[in-house]
Amino acid sequence: MECQVSQQQDDIVIIHVKGEVDLCTSPELRALILQYLKKSKSVLVELSAVAYIDSSGIASLVEGYQLSRQHQLTFALISVNKTVASVLKLAKLDKVFQIYPSLYDWQQHHSSSQ
Amino acid sequence: MTPPIISVENLVTYYGRHQVLKGVSLAVEQGEILVIMGGSGSGKSTLLRHLLGLHAVTSGKIEIFGKNIQTLDWREEQEFRRNIGVSFQGGALFTSMTVGENVRLPLQEHSRLDEQTIAIMSRMKLEMVDLSESEDLMPSELSGGMIKRAALARAIVMDPKLLFFDEPSAGLDPVVAAELDQMILELRDAMRMTMVVVTHDLDSAFQIADKIAVLDQGEILQIGSVEMIKQSKHPRVQALLQRQIRTTQFDPDEYLERLMSGSGRK
Amino acid sequence: MVYSKLKQWLSHGISEFGYIVILLLESLYWIVLGRFKSQAVSIRAIFFYMVQIGINALPIISVLSLTIGVMLAMQGIHTLRVLGAESKVILGLVLSVTREFAPLIIGIVVAGRSGSALTAKIGTMQVSQEIDALRVIGINPVRYLVSPVLVAVFLMLPALTFYADVLGILGGILYSSTELNHSVQVYILEALDLLSLDDVLHGLWKSMVFAVIITLVGVSNGFMVQGGAEEVGTATTRSVVFAITYIIIADMIFTFYLSHE
Repeated sequence: MECQVSQQQDDIVIIHVKGEVDLCTSPELRALILQYLKKSKSVLVELSAVAYIDSSGIASLVEGYQLSRQHQLTFALISVNKTVASVLKLAKLDKVFQIYPSLYDWQQHHSSSQ
Repeated sequence: MTPPIISVENLVTYYGRHQVLKGVSLAVEQGEILVIMGGSGSGKSTLLRHLLGLHAVTSGKIEIFGKNIQTLDWREEQEFRRNIGVSFQGGALFTSMTVGENVRLPLQEHSRLDEQTIAIMSRMKLEMVDLSESEDLMPSELSGGMIKRAALARAIVMDPKLLFFDEPSAGLDPVVAAELDQMILELRDAMRMTMVVVTHDLDSAFQIADKIAVLDQGEILQIGSVEMIKQSKHPRVQALLQRQIRTTQFDPDEYLERLMSGSGRK
Repeated sequence: MVYSKLKQWLSHGISEFGYIVILLLESLYWIVLGRFKSQAVSIRAIFFYMVQIGINALPIISVLSLTIGVMLAMQGIHTLRVLGAESKVILGLVLSVTREFAPLIIGIVVAGRSGSALTAKIGTMQVSQEIDALRVIGINPVRYLVSPVLVAVFLMLPALTFYADVLGILGGILYSSTELNHSVQVYILEALDLLSLDDVLHGLWKSMVFAVIITLVGVSNGFMVQGGAEEVGTATTRSVVFAITYIIIADMIFTFYLSHE
């Protein structure tokens, strides 16, 4: 697994996840998510290049989402590919997370809701 | 082409002087569901125990994930254990622990994940099998169907690449059994798991199998797709299918024989 | 016919003994090396078993040791009176309680209470495939189920034996002081004077041997259960009978060597 972090304007952080998120690598993703949620108002996780994600990876996302709700922050998943979508669906989490097809969609939604 | 997940070559085992498996060979490909079918005494439980690495073989070779499981060193064995999940026939839940503790145990033993992450992961698995309400119950407080589902949750908590399922539908009512079959298929599709299911339930086998191996008296009579097995001309395969479809088939001679000399077939 | 039975019985016995030795070595292995393989023997489990085996047995052990002390005093006074040597009763009491009765009674009580429970627990886990489940999850059953019990029994048995020493002697003194009209304080001082470290240690060494016997007999009978629930019952009975038999035989061997030194 590889994670790249890009900072956008307006205090938005995007974590780009690539490769396999499994028992060995998910603690790293978890640490990144929790770390940036302490610093920024909006954290987006971009999941288009994820080849495999197991439930420890999903659990890390759940923790991030929960933390963002406690502190009224924004946490969303963008560009969720088929692999990730099917795991989310199996865990019945596809209706829990805020999921957007792309960064653009999220921005549209975000600006209209403000 | 990727190598098979499981490859068994000419497996022979004895129990005392009785030959239980007489040269079994089979292969399971990535993402495939293999159903091993056979009556009691066919050797299917023995075969499963060998695949789980619980018994030494007399001769033959079992390779799983490309490694001979008979000769794993300690580290390789732990890795093998991390990558497989097993749902036992009677559940085999640890009776001194709650359902939640049962499901968390493999993660606590094998991973260095945060307790919070472990808790979320195990609850996700309990949600998947519709047991979220039962996390704090003891196994003795569960019904048969719930035990099966809790055992499944424990088996998949590590997201194993290979899942073994012993008699998923035994002792369940048809509706619950069908739900469990559905769940097996969903798991395979979403988690890309490879599965080996041992069952004597024909409906269930036809429902979930990509490939069926029919085992009888320690030999594989036939191995192939559901269609192939259904249309098999092999007399013993036919007999097995017939016997299970017509469960009340009555043979007066056999019955008399049983009454006179006791059941010698067991 | 008799010969073949004997042969079968003997080979069975030898293979069982071999199994017990392997179990002992394996559990020692995990106790010593488990932590280096991230399969450490759980300290929590050790404490749990120490409470179960030791602390929870205190009431019954108290009653038994006091009673045995009183009984020994009765018998001692009765026997010594023939020789006109009733005053030696405390010597007899101190020696027999510390060297013989305390370790033996503790061994028998723990074998009956905990050895059998161990067999029943492991036997049931064997029948319900819980042992298989442990192995499949990658948890060594010996490390998980045997090692902590071995440590707990090994620590608790000498402790309980010492406790039984104290109560047994006290019981004997209380009886003797009323029977022979001496003050309790005098007898206590006399007992302390007569009590030697050697005698106490003799009993404690024995109890450690008993600890290993109780654990291994209990555990091995549990693991050897095959088949159904009714076999758990048979194994449990067998476990208690064998543990007590082995304890008494070991006791005799021990006493023989230590009294011929």
